Amino acid sequence: MDDLERVLKAHPFFAELEADHVQFLVGCAKNVRFRGGDYLVREGDREDTLYLIRQGSVAIEIHRPGSEPTCVETVGPGDVLGVSLLATAAAHLDCRARETVVALALDSACLRHKMAEDPRLGLAIAMRLLERTYERLARARLQHLDVYR
Amino acid sequence: MMASPYVPAPMAITRAVREITDVFTWTFEVPSGFAFKPGQFNMLYVHGVGEVAISISGDPAMPERLVHTIRAVGSVTRVMAQLGEGDVMGVRGPYGSAWPVDEAKGRDVLVIAGGLGLAPLRPVILRLLANRADYGRVTILYGARTPADLLYRPELEAWRGRFDLRVEAIVDRAGRDWFGPVGVVTRLFDGVPIEPDDAVFMCGPEIMMRFAVRELEKRGMPREAIWISMERSMKCGIGLCGHCQLAGSFVCKDGPVYRFDRIAPYLTVREL
Repeated sequence: MDDLERVLKAHPFFAELEADHVQFLVGCAKNVRFRGGDYLVREGDREDTLYLIRQGSVAIEIHRPGSEPTCVETVGPGDVLGVSLLATAAAHLDCRARETVVALALDSACLRHKMAEDPRLGLAIAMRLLERTYERLARARLQHLDVYR
Repeated sequence: MMASPYVPAPMAITRAVREITDVFTWTFEVPSGFAFKPGQFNMLYVHGVGEVAISISGDPAMPERLVHTIRAVGSVTRVMAQLGEGDVMGVRGPYGSAWPVDEAKGRDVLVIAGGLGLAPLRPVILRLLANRADYGRVTILYGARTPADLLYRPELEAWRGRFDLRVEAIVDRAGRDWFGPVGVVTRLFDGVPIEPDDAVFMCGPEIMMRFAVRELEKRGMPREAIWISMERSMKCGIGLCGHCQLAGSFVCKDGPVYRFDRIAPYLTVREL
C-alpha cells in the first residue's frame, strides 16, 4: 500500500494533491500492465476506469469499417485516460497499448464515491479532470483545423 | 546580384526533386555565388505567369547552390510544379530579415517547425550544425499532417542519427505503421528541456505558432526569446507595394523573421 501511495503521489495528475487525499484514494487504485497490442479501452465499452499512464505509449484510435484504424493522438507517461468517468459514458474511441504500458488504474465508481464523501477532494479531482479535458479539447480543435494542409 | 531590385536574374533549374505530395525542391547552380542569410526569401518569376515569394531552404555555406522548396498551391506555383530541370526562371532577392543565429550563440536552441515551415528553417539548422560548438543543446521539434507529409525525411533521419542533435517528429494522424507520437506539435514540449534562456526559432501555420507560443509561455519562456517567421502576400519584396503590410510593418522588408514580442500585438487584430 505504501508503494501504491508513493506511485500515486508521483504521478503528475496528482501533483500537489494533499497527502491525506492521496492516502484516501489508495483504496481505489491498483497497478496494471498491458502488453503491446492490448486494449485499455474499447469503443462502446463502459468507461469504468481512470488510467494514469506511468510508462509506455497508448494510441487513441478511431475504427473505420473497411480500413485501418486511424490514430488521432498518442498519450504517454504523465497522461490520463478515461477522463469521462464523471459522465459515466461509454467509450467512443479505442485506446491501444503500442508497447508495454504500465499504469495506475483507478476504479471510477470508487473514485466518485470518495469524491462525494470528501467535497474538497472531489473539487481537486474535478478540476484536474477539467484541465486535462480542456487541454485535449484545445488540441483536438487545432487538429480539426488541419493547419498543415 | 541585381542591377535593379525589380529586375529578376534568369536562372536555369539544375535539379528538381519531388519531396512529398504537391511539394518539390529546385536547385539553381550559381557559380558566382548567391549569398543569403538563413530565413531570407527570393521572388521567383515564371515568365508570363507571375511571381511568388519563396523562402530559401539551402545551405548558407554553399552560396553557389540556391535551393527553394515550393508547394503547388496557387496559380503560379501550380505552373511551377509542371516545370523541371533546364527550365529558366526569374530570380530576385534575397529579401527580408534573418534568424538571429549569432544572438543565439552560447544558448540552447529550440527549432519548432510545422508542415512546410521546415523549409525556411532548414538553412538555420544547417548553420547551427556547421557551427555546432557555438551552441548548447539543439532540439528540432517538427509537426506534420501525416507521416507521408514529413518534409526532407531522409535528412530528418540523418539528423536524428547524430549525437549532438535531438529531433522529434509528430503527426496529426497516422496509421499503425507509424511508431512515433501522434498529436499537435506542442505535445512534444513535455519530453524536452525548455528553459527561459533558450532561443526559439519557429515557423509554421500562424495558428500553430500562436498555440505553441502559449504553451511555451506556460513553461516560462519569455516572448523576447522566441522568433517566428511570418507569411503574408508579398509582391514587391522591398516594402513599397504594401501588400504584405502588417500594421506599421512590412513582412517582406521588416520580416519575415520577427522577434515574437514585437509582432504579437498584431497577430490577434482581426483586420490584419
